[in-house]
Amino acid sequence: MFELLFNHPRVVFSKGEFVLLGGWAPWLLPATMAILAGALGFILWRRRTRAEARIRGWRLAGIWGLESALIALLLALLWQPAVRVSALKPQQNVVAVVVDDSASMTIADEGRPRRDTARALLEKGMLDALRRKFQVRLYRMSDKLERIENPDQLTAAGTSTRIGDSLKQAVAESASLPIGAIVLISDGADNSGGVDPETISEIRSRRIPVHTIGLGKERPGRDIEITDAVMSAKALPDSRLRAQVTLTQRGYDKQKARLNVREGNRILASREITLQGGDTQQTESLLFNAGVAGAKLFRVSVEPLQAEENQLNNAVSRMVQVTGSKPRILYLEGEPRWEFKFIRRAAQEDRTVKLVTMMRTTQNKIYRQDVENAKELEQGFPASVDELFRYQAVILGSVELGYFTPAQQELLRNFVDRRGGGLLWLGARAALSDGGWAGSTMSELMPTILPTAKNTFQREAATAELTPAGRESLICRLVEDPEQNAARWRKLPYMGSYQDVGSPKPGAVVLADMLVQNRGRLPLLITQNYGRGRTAIFATGGSWRWQMLQELKDQTHEMFWQQLLRWLVAETPGRIVASTPRPVLSDEGRVVLHAEVRDPNYLPMADARVEARIMGPAGIAATVEMDPDTNNPGSFTATWTAEKPGSYIAEIQARRGEEEPMRDVVTFQREDGVAEHFGTGLNRDLLAKLSEQTGGRYWRAADTGKLPEEISYSEAGITIRETKELWNMPVVFLLALALRSSEWLLRRKWGAV
Amino acid sequence: MRRTALLPVLLVVASGVTLVLAQRPFRQFMEEEDNPAAFPADGNEKTEFVFGRLRYRSWRGSRYMAGYGSWSTDYPKADRQFLQGVRRLTRIQARSSEQVVGMDDPDDIYNWPWLYAVEVGRWDLSDKDAAKLRDYLLRGGFLMVDDFHGTLEWSIFAEGMQKVFPDRPIVELENKDQIFHTLYDLDERFQVPGIQYWYSGSIYERDGVEARWRGIYDDHGRIMVAICHNMDLGDAWEWADHPRYPEHYASLAYRVAINYIIYSMSH
Repeated sequence: MFELLFNHPRVVFSKGEFVLLGGWAPWLLPATMAILAGALGFILWRRRTRAEARIRGWRLAGIWGLESALIALLLALLWQPAVRVSALKPQQNVVAVVVDDSASMTIADEGRPRRDTARALLEKGMLDALRRKFQVRLYRMSDKLERIENPDQLTAAGTSTRIGDSLKQAVAESASLPIGAIVLISDGADNSGGVDPETISEIRSRRIPVHTIGLGKERPGRDIEITDAVMSAKALPDSRLRAQVTLTQRGYDKQKARLNVREGNRILASREITLQGGDTQQTESLLFNAGVAGAKLFRVSVEPLQAEENQLNNAVSRMVQVTGSKPRILYLEGEPRWEFKFIRRAAQEDRTVKLVTMMRTTQNKIYRQDVENAKELEQGFPASVDELFRYQAVILGSVELGYFTPAQQELLRNFVDRRGGGLLWLGARAALSDGGWAGSTMSELMPTILPTAKNTFQREAATAELTPAGRESLICRLVEDPEQNAARWRKLPYMGSYQDVGSPKPGAVVLADMLVQNRGRLPLLITQNYGRGRTAIFATGGSWRWQMLQELKDQTHEMFWQQLLRWLVAETPGRIVASTPRPVLSDEGRVVLHAEVRDPNYLPMADARVEARIMGPAGIAATVEMDPDTNNPGSFTATWTAEKPGSYIAEIQARRGEEEPMRDVVTFQREDGVAEHFGTGLNRDLLAKLSEQTGGRYWRAADTGKLPEEISYSEAGITIRETKELWNMPVVFLLALALRSSEWLLRRKWGAV
Repeated sequence: MRRTALLPVLLVVASGVTLVLAQRPFRQFMEEEDNPAAFPADGNEKTEFVFGRLRYRSWRGSRYMAGYGSWSTDYPKADRQFLQGVRRLTRIQARSSEQVVGMDDPDDIYNWPWLYAVEVGRWDLSDKDAAKLRDYLLRGGFLMVDDFHGTLEWSIFAEGMQKVFPDRPIVELENKDQIFHTLYDLDERFQVPGIQYWYSGSIYERDGVEARWRGIYDDHGRIMVAICHNMDLGDAWEWADHPRYPEHYASLAYRVAINYIIYSMSH
């Protein structure tokens, strides 16, 4: 219809430039329009009294408007309007047709596999239509781009889809050719995170429009898909890990499903969930034990439901490095206390952490326990980096601030801020406000603003209750089920003391409160991150009653303290920290390795020499030099390609001069045949955005008839400038006729004809 | 020194309700006091450490029918005098008065992680008592026993402990054990006699010629029960202020018990 009225396709107008071919100056056109409209108006105004009474006033103004519009239209035609547009020279330009050939094209969500739809599209008209105007190059695209001769070579066997890389390769391959346009036929299920801006920019710089044709349904009929599973990349042995699982579903609103975490064939955790309705993403948590030290591959899955269309997207794998090291925690207690004894007992039953303690028994004597040798802590609380930074966390019991020298206070601050250690204060009669910590420089580290008053520590009964944040915290998880866990906390025996630690700072998280008679609710367990480390306050000295006042078999006290101690040390970094942003590589081999290297003072060590020694399946071994990041001193990066599927281990080693080399290990896994089963719906947004950004258009498979013609009007390749005159457009005559007819009809209606 | 208590149990509960309290209030057994002492002005203070004295059922000849007696030997003077030393010599925040902890109270024992029992050569633990004591010790409680002498009293004590821990041996404590080094290094120990030493000149009673420092360990190698056999540390505390009682005995008695307390608060 558009072309019938306007003589030319829409693209001519959208891409062309409007010009006036007449010899007169363009500015004369509006001027003449204005003069003639004004003259007509003047004449009508002069004759208004002689006009028939029926067409006076606003009716007369209407007549003036219609006649003026007709005059303007005729004047516009006298100036010879036209559109100038660039058009590709026939048969002198190349059109690259890139067809998705990945496994997701086998999905038959519209009655037949997407691959077959693509084949049919090409074979039944499109290729011929294109070839009539252009030279056509046909490509298939998956994890790489490959030129093919005909659509029969499409197999849909590719293990991943890399649209950005493929387009980049197509542009690069045809750098010397006059590329007029790229036609991309795909479901848009890209596995590389989309098309990067660099590729878009490159395509735009060559003015190549990318026309995209989307295949498949945007939403599957009945399916559950795990879109992500987040868990810590590193963990302590036997520590509790949380898998935060995000999933989407279609067709199973409010139905029950079972979520599992497996290591090999062994189920580590299992939970029934209720699937939420609508298209919303649902997040569920599953807790499980990390097990013994080593590189672990955990598989998070949701059991398939009846008639599920795609069951291969029901599981994802995650790699976790369970470290074999045993972090050491230094616990300084200012006086003999029962809390000290029972914390020690809880820690002794934990193979994960080592608690080294020093207790002031008299004014001048310190009783040390579990030191490595007689020299350790012989001079009292550490006064140097070497002494203190060997621990991963510090606990301070009933110790007044004045016990520490200013240098030790600064050391403690650096321990948390720079070294990344954990620091826990316990409620006690010489602790926190009662120990002079309020208002000191050290109070900056604390997660609460301490009261300035004294006597904040009271030996009165208090009971514990979890906050909403505490219900989600691994520290406070005594029972698997969140509701039962909250109830379990409410049933804990009373604590024999409490300390008012003031109000939490912004950014701090209160995990548990205390309920105190006549005082109401006070924070009990508060945590926060500080610098590279973390700090916490446990505002009582009476949790030992959870051990003494509950049955012997009850493990509440032990479990709580073990979890709190692990939290204190779990994220404390060593001098070298190796990591990779993607420990599981799905159908790709490119892995990025990072290393953060620090000197003995835990300051960034930019002058280190860092290399990664990688070992993989089938005897793969490689050594890769890691490059320093100039913008981020102490950071090093390397990129490497894992050619074969399987588990890889990379030992990152940093050395400087004659110093003892530092080592850390990171593991990653390459899995093939996985990526194409996730995010398999038509990604219309990605394709439409790609077209829009490159000057192309998004097409539905059924509406591609006009594609060859639209491609013709491109600024890429070898073009000619065409001028399309507009005076002879049917719409012009129709408009003139409409204006005149309207005036006649109005006059007739008003009885003036 | 033992004194007899003829009257049946008269339990006097100090002020306040006893259920939901951070620290159970002081309990006085005036009728059963062996050696009365002035109640300290701060005897009701709420503190970290409270000296728990175990009130158990005992064999006492004709007084067996009454059921109690020997638990209160030296009570309360020994306790209060010892606590003065604890407060002066250590950083332990200790209450100046003792706390009597009854075996017959259903759950009170669990509030007091430190217990001192005297004259255990005369105790008479029922199966229920033994089960409760076992539970208490395994949860983390600590028991120091003292002032029993010779073969007969040992056998009565051991019979009771057999009920408590049928599967755990009573062992001799070695000098290297941490219990002798928590505050004072007590490698050199000697027999501490009771007040009878004034009259008899003998430092031992009955056939208990040699002081035995024994204990029972838990599965983690921690002492749960510290056994002072053939000695009378309680008398040494009780009479430490008397010019006739030798200082070196009293001194060792204080140091041993302080070490034991610190051990109980750190292991």
